[in-house]
Amino acid sequence: MKSTLIFFLHGLTYAGLLFLVSSGLTLVFGMMNVLNFAHATFYMLGAYISWTLLRTTNNFWLSLAVAPAFLFCIGALVERFLLRRVHVLGHVHELLLTFGLAYVLSELVKWIWGTHPLAVPITGFLAQSVDLFGITYPVYRLFVFSAAILVGVLMALVLYKTRVGIIIRGAVDDSDIVGALGINVPVLFMAIFGFGAALSGFAGVIAGPLLTTFPGMGDAILVDAFVVIVVGGLGSLGGAVIASFIIGELQSFGVLLIPKFSLALIYLLMAVVLVARPSGLFGRQST
Amino acid sequence: MNSVVGGGLFLLLLVLIPFAMGKFHVNLLTEVIIFALYGVSYNLLLGYGNLLSFGHAMFFGFGAYTTAVALNHISGLGFFPAVFLGTAGATLVGFLLGCLLLRQKGASYALLTLAFNALFYAMAIKFTFITRGDDGLGVTRPRIDLGLFTLNTSDVVVFYFVTLAVVGAAILLSWFFTKTAMGRTVVLMRENEDRMKFLGFSTRVTRLILFTVTGGLAGLAGSFYALFFSFVSVDAISIAMTTTVLLITFVGGSGSFTGPILGALVYIYLQNFLSDVTDRWQLFMGLIFILMVLFVPGGLSKLVEDALARWRALWEPKSNTAAR
Repeated sequence: MKSTLIFFLHGLTYAGLLFLVSSGLTLVFGMMNVLNFAHATFYMLGAYISWTLLRTTNNFWLSLAVAPAFLFCIGALVERFLLRRVHVLGHVHELLLTFGLAYVLSELVKWIWGTHPLAVPITGFLAQSVDLFGITYPVYRLFVFSAAILVGVLMALVLYKTRVGIIIRGAVDDSDIVGALGINVPVLFMAIFGFGAALSGFAGVIAGPLLTTFPGMGDAILVDAFVVIVVGGLGSLGGAVIASFIIGELQSFGVLLIPKFSLALIYLLMAVVLVARPSGLFGRQST
Repeated sequence: MNSVVGGGLFLLLLVLIPFAMGKFHVNLLTEVIIFALYGVSYNLLLGYGNLLSFGHAMFFGFGAYTTAVALNHISGLGFFPAVFLGTAGATLVGFLLGCLLLRQKGASYALLTLAFNALFYAMAIKFTFITRGDDGLGVTRPRIDLGLFTLNTSDVVVFYFVTLAVVGAAILLSWFFTKTAMGRTVVLMRENEDRMKFLGFSTRVTRLILFTVTGGLAGLAGSFYALFFSFVSVDAISIAMTTTVLLITFVGGSGSFTGPILGALVYIYLQNFLSDVTDRWQLFMGLIFILMVLFVPGGLSKLVEDALARWRALWEPKSNTAAR
């Protein structure tokens, strides 16, 4: 019973990370119709930048604020100077560009930080453990999960309760009409792409101490994030929440129950969803 | 007629090369031919069918592994049966995955191909009892027994000719495929899918056949890749191998049949040159790729075509006036 609870909490932690990565991915896709293959590379960059910041300043909270801000700038620049150029050439070129970008960025990371895994130490009260329902559980994992919930709630509030949110949701439905209403859609796209990168970087910063920071960490979560948005439905935030939870728990209990084939479980789920409901649990049927 | 003469001369050149060049270049050219087929098979999917896949390495790697595993476990297995097993295995995988993945379109389909490539890669790493994981599998090239004499395939020049004959034939067959009625429905599907449906063709069947065929061709290329290096590791089935085929196709140009062949030549020689100069050759490859996507979307073959057209335009007015 106790181990079940521990694995359930582990699953929640991973689900939190997955949600942070996949929500940005799905938002950018829903709005700009661009599937960003470099999204998980931003996550990896976030982890590496925070490692450097931690070594120089030794302040976790600072790196939690600075690394996403830095990635926001990178994301905005990528949208403005690379993606916007190839937009006229069509969908295939946009996908190819982000794919090439992911390749170049991960090679750059290997060049700058090397290929060895880097350990990020946790300090302060985050490094402690608490007693929870009769088990001792690390505070940091609880922190990861609560950070994901906080970001999720903030995103929902902005999207559904503010004027900016109305504009974004409008642009998801039809960016041409939103542009015709006098909204500067290109700047909006730039901001959303930057925001997606920042979210991914944020996830990278908090993933650093939890999982090790290494060049393959982006690829590892990218596939899971893809599964999340396929299962949840491309462009659906609610779908991302539910699917992150399912995949996170499946991953966690899969390792417990059938260690050799835990990966197969996730693909099995994806295959079932694809056959039964090709557009995902919450996706629109038309697309 | 002109193209037949050109093709014949090109083939003659390829046959004569081993007698004029050193073993180093013969070896590199063998690699070029193998990667040319890999690129051509990918371009059938992308350039002709407009199906952007990020998982072509799973067929390539599956072919490579099937050949390597078969040669390791079946004693006395011949050269061609081993190649056949690799190709057939990849064709089967192409058919099965095609049934599942082709239900999706556009970005969703592209994403799934990448996810499945990752699955194949993970399987290659996990199933160490078959693939030996990171250590890789060694392969000894079997001799080819032709009755009257045997071909010693471990010789560089002999292997070059075997590759030229088999892989070259596959490239030629792919070219014929684009000229057949079946190949033309693929282009029709790319240009106007609705119209194709109105004309009574099933786009699903066309897509599935295309996916299966390109999977098999990539498997054949992978099978020769295993024999060429006498070794297969997880690299053969990795996302990086998919990036390689994207590079080859886009540097060469996806707009024409010969584009990926040109791309393979440039890629292999460039990789060879860059890896001599710098350890970070992959970074430069990636930068070249991004620059091509940004500024030369048609690839090198488009540049060559444009240059040729300009050259002809330069001469045409003169010949016209002369005729009058």
